[in-house]
Amino acid sequence: MRWISGLIAGGCLLASCVTASVAADPVRIVIDDQAPALEKFAAQELKAMVAKLSKAEVKISSRPPGQQQAQVIFLGSPRTNPVIAETLRGRWPKVSDQGIVIRSLEPKQAILIGGGSPRATLWAVYEFGYQQGIRYLLREDIYPDPKPLKITGLNYVNEPEFRTRSWRTINDFAIGPESWSLAEHKQVLGQLAKQKFNQVMLAVYPWQPFVDYRFQGINKKTAMLWYGERFDLPRGAPGRNALRGLSLFENPEFSGKTSYQDMTAAGIRYANGIISESQRLGMKVGILVSPLAFPKEFGPALKGSKAARGLNQLTMTPGAGQKYDDETLQSLVATKLRAYLKTYPTIDSLYLTLPEFPEWEEHAEAAWQYLSDRPGVKLPGLASLVDAAGKRSLIASGDRGRQALKGNVVALAFLHHLLAGKHADLLKRPDGEQVQLVVRSVDPELYPYLDQLLPANAATLNFVDYTARRVDQNSQYLAKIPTDKVKAQFITTLADDNIGPLAQQVTQRLESLVNKIRQHGWDGFSTRYWMLADLDPAVHFLSRASWDPDVTARSAHDALFGVITGKQEVADRLWLAMQHIEKATELTDEKNLGFNFPVRGMLMKHHHPAPVPEWWDEVNKLYTDAMIEVYRGHGAADPRSRRLLFYWAKRGEYVLEYLATIRAVREASLAMKAGKQEAALEQYEVAMEKLYNAIDTLSDVVQDQGDRGLIAVLNKFAFEPLKTEYEKVLEEE
Amino acid sequence: MSISRLQQRLLLLMFLSFCQVSQGEDWAQFRGPNASGVSVESKNLPVEFSVDKNVLWKKTLGEGIACPIVVQGRVIATTMADKETFSIRCLNAASGDQYWRKDFKVSGLPAITSPNTPASSTPASDGKRVFVFFDTLGLMAFDLADGKLLWTQKIPEPFYLLSWGAAASPVVYKDLVIFNQDDDLNPFVVAYDAATGEQRWRTPRPEMLAGYALPVICKANGREDLVLAGSGKLKGYDPNTGKELWNCNSLLRTIMTTPVVKDDRIYITVQSYGDTDRVLKYALLQWKDTNQDNKLDKQEIGKAFWEKFDKGDANKDGFLEDTEIDDAFQSPTNRVGGGNIIQSVRGGGTGDVTKTHIIFNLDHPASSNISSPLVYGEQLFMVKKGGISACFDRNDGKTLWMKKRINNFGNYYASPVAGDGKIYVMGENGFLVVLEQGDQLKRLAKNDMGDSCIATPAIADGRIYVRTLNTLYCFSKEAGQ
Repeated sequence: MRWISGLIAGGCLLASCVTASVAADPVRIVIDDQAPALEKFAAQELKAMVAKLSKAEVKISSRPPGQQQAQVIFLGSPRTNPVIAETLRGRWPKVSDQGIVIRSLEPKQAILIGGGSPRATLWAVYEFGYQQGIRYLLREDIYPDPKPLKITGLNYVNEPEFRTRSWRTINDFAIGPESWSLAEHKQVLGQLAKQKFNQVMLAVYPWQPFVDYRFQGINKKTAMLWYGERFDLPRGAPGRNALRGLSLFENPEFSGKTSYQDMTAAGIRYANGIISESQRLGMKVGILVSPLAFPKEFGPALKGSKAARGLNQLTMTPGAGQKYDDETLQSLVATKLRAYLKTYPTIDSLYLTLPEFPEWEEHAEAAWQYLSDRPGVKLPGLASLVDAAGKRSLIASGDRGRQALKGNVVALAFLHHLLAGKHADLLKRPDGEQVQLVVRSVDPELYPYLDQLLPANAATLNFVDYTARRVDQNSQYLAKIPTDKVKAQFITTLADDNIGPLAQQVTQRLESLVNKIRQHGWDGFSTRYWMLADLDPAVHFLSRASWDPDVTARSAHDALFGVITGKQEVADRLWLAMQHIEKATELTDEKNLGFNFPVRGMLMKHHHPAPVPEWWDEVNKLYTDAMIEVYRGHGAADPRSRRLLFYWAKRGEYVLEYLATIRAVREASLAMKAGKQEAALEQYEVAMEKLYNAIDTLSDVVQDQGDRGLIAVLNKFAFEPLKTEYEKVLEEE
Repeated sequence: MSISRLQQRLLLLMFLSFCQVSQGEDWAQFRGPNASGVSVESKNLPVEFSVDKNVLWKKTLGEGIACPIVVQGRVIATTMADKETFSIRCLNAASGDQYWRKDFKVSGLPAITSPNTPASSTPASDGKRVFVFFDTLGLMAFDLADGKLLWTQKIPEPFYLLSWGAAASPVVYKDLVIFNQDDDLNPFVVAYDAATGEQRWRTPRPEMLAGYALPVICKANGREDLVLAGSGKLKGYDPNTGKELWNCNSLLRTIMTTPVVKDDRIYITVQSYGDTDRVLKYALLQWKDTNQDNKLDKQEIGKAFWEKFDKGDANKDGFLEDTEIDDAFQSPTNRVGGGNIIQSVRGGGTGDVTKTHIIFNLDHPASSNISSPLVYGEQLFMVKKGGISACFDRNDGKTLWMKKRINNFGNYYASPVAGDGKIYVMGENGFLVVLEQGDQLKRLAKNDMGDSCIATPAIADGRIYVRTLNTLYCFSKEAGQ
């Protein structure tokens, strides 16, 4: 203790000695023996990080070192570290539970790293690493060359701009996290913690194997992944080398599982693995559930229910037979939600999503009346809202917009009934703790009234429209939620499934959106994506902009790529590449949302004899220019970043080959219409070759199960149907 | 009458013992005898084979793309056992059992462009010794019998403007080991005494840019010439002295394929990228001008090239612009000429033979940039990306077929090989297509090797050796016996 007092008081002789010998100084991390587990983890992370950054000897201890040459890091807060409480309290700033502190203790070689909570301390550790030159990517960390640790001159005390920084996972396509092994999830979660994400949201679907329940004698018996699609990869399938000789693409956690019981057991183990790892890293956890969609086996329990619109028609949803206060439906929904809370008893939030295609609209007027008649509620007439929903420029407009609004009204009335009656305790975990309710995907016309429409204390998660561009173009809706009364989280689409597994970038658009949600008081964001492939720039931007309002897309880009490539010139090339890709993303979104939706028919829907659209040329040029820039950057970049850049360059090649495939398919169709069978066959062959090359190129650089899933998807939904069509025409000849 | 399993094993053991001592056909360098890709002696080669059919043996080696060689009943293969260990394996050609193994720690390896990998150079052997090149280790000679290191010659580290990475391989001629290294800095061809490692001769090739052609021998006009393809020019040298005898100014700028020789004719095929004027500056401005200011500064060019940079920077403004770029990196005597891409050149000439020795020079888009052609019988066969094949009469260049698919898509880095009337075409996707030799394309089989493959297969003693990215297979009809 005396040592630390002396340290703070300062001493010229000692200071000069320390400065002179800094290169060889060992590093001591001071943390209390009784520190919370998360702070102990933070200490271990810091130790590994500092050792790699400086090659110094690093030790963790509960007391400051006897030898005075050491650089000392005091870790924690006055609440968790007695040394800080007793001797450094005066240097401790006021911070919230999410605030972080990195403060040099001049003139000594000592520093305070901590936060307003153990998880904030962990973030402070990662922020310290970032400031020392480490860059966190989704698949790896890139370290600078080792050099003496710089712990003087730092005074970083900060609070997040957004208190909810949520990462969505699991989802529903083979190209996304639903295919990842648990180890892959853990690896990505670790990288997200480093980027200070503080929540994980597991988006699960009714047909998936993550919960088991029984209602009125009916057992849930649907437990499948990827909408029940099976991805066989016969010998000769392009890209099969990336699947290590496997003839069937699987999520490794479900390998060989076929029965409902086995699938469900594996699914619960898998989801619990993600949850426990997230919590170990200090993240909160939510589960996103569709309360009004059920596997079809529950249809008999709900007379008058109907098949829900969706891929492979796997679910049913309430219909005219159910009013918004239907007791049987309430019991069924309660049974399902209780099953989730029982299965995952430590989650913090339950996200209830309103249907993407709301079809339960039959009782909208009555539901609106019910909502309006509650004490203290003042709502406009439903007709004006329905009219507005039909006229707007969102994807959900016209009939779909009107239906969406009405369906939302019924669902909201239902939720009020559900949580007000005999199921009032529904949101209690088995340990009695209340989970946070978050209602997702409310129709934008209802935003101004959310404080009156949502169940008490509920938050909301919304995105206005599918893509970042579409949201930005309709950003007036972002101002309409009364965020002073309702906590609102924003769905940030980083890569949209409708545009599909083409390379996508959204960072510049995100800059605009992040500024707007900040301006309008939103609490935070939750990501939306499927493939990790291109996400690093956007995730890095979100990570930095969440803590600094001055961060722009460009400044974040430079802070990432200027550092990892070692050259600003390379960062400049990559900035151009990202701009090209973002333009291509937006052009595709604008001209044909759904262009490459990764489902059956994804390729052959282009097999019709319409002229080749001009925008295809434009998109092709943008992707070509982007690929050239990435290759150009790759050639000049520091070797540490080359793996990532090469991956992106090859993805660029894949995209170009795939676009060439689509074009050839179109040309084949045109040739067939013109009766030129020979020319058509040639185009089919070109298409097959291009598609083969596209998949083969991906397989050269595959980095995760999402990439392998894409290979499987392209084989099943593109290559096989194309081959079948070719063989059909060949036979006819 | 059936024989017992024990009897079967005894027979197999006897057979394998016989194989161990037999001194059968060798395939002692890249593409076998004189890099031809043709096995003359092998009979009864298998047509259908795969990871689970007609496998005499297999050995997991680790990552590598160098071709296996077969000599004196032994197979030599190289691999990166891990990221920092280069390994040489000598195996029994009949059983796969290991005779010896040599490991070398290598680290800080230079940048390389995929699909090239560090273990890319194919060894060669004179029947007593094995010669192995690795760019950071040099050219090494080992005793074939026990793997003892006999000598090492440091080879100047190659530098490539576009970071392609080293992939040159040695060849043996009489008592010499000849090694050609066409890089962008200091290209040369050198010959060492195979027994001692003593340098016999060294000939600079200042006109050349990066390329990967192996030297081949052409007997013509009463001589044996060492023939080397390189940037723009096919050249003949005296293999005993290294003296340049002739050159043919007919090629394109970048040569990655190796010529083949039959009788007194040399055949070479190269894929055109439309850059027939051989000028390098466009490629450098495209890929090396990082800030795209249409000129190169030193930071944009590897330090190894700074001397050349200074030489080209005529106005000494610290930048290379326009013709300064070519002046820095390209020989003034090798920037024009050539253009067509499927050529037959008669050997044995003297001086400039461009106008006298070219037999045919075709402009067909049939050639690969990497996969070398095959002359088998009277046909000149080639395959390129997409599994698109073409075949010409080797005597007059007459087209036998053009742009016909062998029904296996993907890239083709391995070169086709042949024997026993069959042509074996290895695709990068791991499928090996077997064709029947003849004037028409006839596919016999498509065989699954189970992994991607860049190395050219070897044929010796009726067996086919396929080195996939990670595994070495020996396929033979003996496997079924």
